[in-house]
Amino acid sequence: MRDRSSEPIVAARGLTKRYGDALAVDALDLDVPAGAFFGLLGPNGSGKTTAIHMLSTLIRPSAGEARIAGHDVRREPVAVRRAIGVVFQEPALDRSLSVEENLRLAGRLYGLSGAEIRRRAEELLALFGLGARRRQSAATLSGGLRRALDIARGVIHRPRVLFLDEPTIGLDVPNRRAIWRYIAGLRAETGVTVVLTTHYLEEADDCDLVAFIRGGRVVASGAPRVLVDNLAPRILEVEGADLEPLAQRLAPKFGPALNDGQRLSFCFHGSAADFGALQSELAGAVEALRLRRPNLNDVFLWVNAAQPSEAPAHAAVH
Amino acid sequence: MLRPVYAVMEREVLRLLRQPARLAAAFVRPLVWLLVIGAGFGALYEPAGRAGYQQFLVPGVVGMTLLFGAMLAALGTVHDKEFGVMRMLVMAPLPHAWIVIAKLLAATLVAVLQALVLLAALTALGYLAAGTAPLLLATALAATAFACSAIGMLIAAFSRTLENFAAVMNFVIFPVFFLSGSLYPVQALPAGLRAAAMLNPYTYGVDLLRHALPAGAAGLGPDFSIGRDLAVLLLFTGAATALACWRFSREAAHAPLVRRLARKGS
Repeated sequence: MRDRSSEPIVAARGLTKRYGDALAVDALDLDVPAGAFFGLLGPNGSGKTTAIHMLSTLIRPSAGEARIAGHDVRREPVAVRRAIGVVFQEPALDRSLSVEENLRLAGRLYGLSGAEIRRRAEELLALFGLGARRRQSAATLSGGLRRALDIARGVIHRPRVLFLDEPTIGLDVPNRRAIWRYIAGLRAETGVTVVLTTHYLEEADDCDLVAFIRGGRVVASGAPRVLVDNLAPRILEVEGADLEPLAQRLAPKFGPALNDGQRLSFCFHGSAADFGALQSELAGAVEALRLRRPNLNDVFLWVNAAQPSEAPAHAAVH
Repeated sequence: MLRPVYAVMEREVLRLLRQPARLAAAFVRPLVWLLVIGAGFGALYEPAGRAGYQQFLVPGVVGMTLLFGAMLAALGTVHDKEFGVMRMLVMAPLPHAWIVIAKLLAATLVAVLQALVLLAALTALGYLAAGTAPLLLATALAATAFACSAIGMLIAAFSRTLENFAAVMNFVIFPVFFLSGSLYPVQALPAGLRAAAMLNPYTYGVDLLRHALPAGAAGLGPDFSIGRDLAVLLLFTGAATALACWRFSREAAHAPLVRRLARKGS
């Protein structure tokens, strides 16, 4: 369900948030096409949440502008809020109300009629596996189900854009998988544009587009597959005791390495034969030698390495 | 605009009904004042006698229920501010000032509901005199509840956190209650206290209730005219609501909420 117009449904230009002297978000530019599954990625403290808060009108930008579904976040906050759903890092639920009552409250806040709310709540309860718990109070739900209810609450009014701020934070693996399944179901059903933040980069593999943000700025963006393919065909990992001399020894052949203290990683452009030769050469000198497909984590680490900052790159990613 | 307001009011009523202790407190507390303290002080209170003082206390305890009910509901906004529901409200497609209006109406509604429960109990116990003026009583209940809710919303809009229930009781609700004409005629107070009581908008709510629920005994009637009571209550409610609406429209009012939501990531 792409938008008829070619205008991105979320567009930010020079979006900036300053707290005193600190720049939480620094001249952020974003374009999210309608219907896209967009990931805003970066370590804790990189400005992702602040960016989402500005885009969703919770806080006002210090400078720059952003338009959601054609509405300016600063001048038309109410119109923006009508077009979006937001799921924060912590639930926006009334713990004293039941699952159904929470959805009804949310639906009424968006001006939906009782009949619309009932219809939509039925769909969402089925989609998110909450049907059997409709009368249970929100306080008694497990963490995973409460997150599911919070997402259902965020989409009861069929928003055009859904902002998810770290939707799987604090959840265990099965619940994280369930949440992603719900979001995939929701996208398939409604074609809603999803803008999510996460610092679990492996969760962003399914995104159509991602933007890496660090220090409040976009440092790399594109389709995950393209970013990964552009990095290198393979990542070479070398584990051993004395890594620094090894890095210098291998640099002429394989280029610069990332050293995270336990292993060296190289962008490997060589052939299987090159790897075989390396295995014989290093046999006994290293603890492990590994060739693997690169992923978004690697992209992020190499982007960081290319743009050195005060923060050590390996500490940044989960 | 009406559905969101209705939603907030319905939530407040549901919460009240789900907290039987709160509902019970709404008429047990005033009845304790009326039956125990009223009888005790009535014995000391020469001009009216025991029954006369108790009758004098009736508007005071009805006001008490409105005050506690409205303030606790309105001050619940401070708690909501940091927790779930305010997040829903700030993301709803309404100007943030409407949150204040909705909460004000909701707090007023639950306060009046609690007062009606108490009035039923008072009727059963025979404390509602024949001179009760229904229309004036309804007006007094509504105007007083609105004013109490407005005090609560004003505090809620400006305070960052309210440490706990005890702080609210001791520093807000009790002073408002004691510095009014609830327990004693304002005219009889020493000059300093009288001045404080006359600055307290709640005093005029109790006075209006006193017009609607006449005590009968001489010297224990209302202190002010109905017109003055209504004017003060309406002006105060309007001004306090406007100020609270203004504050809620500012980003600073939502700083605790934003801070909490940015805690884990940022």
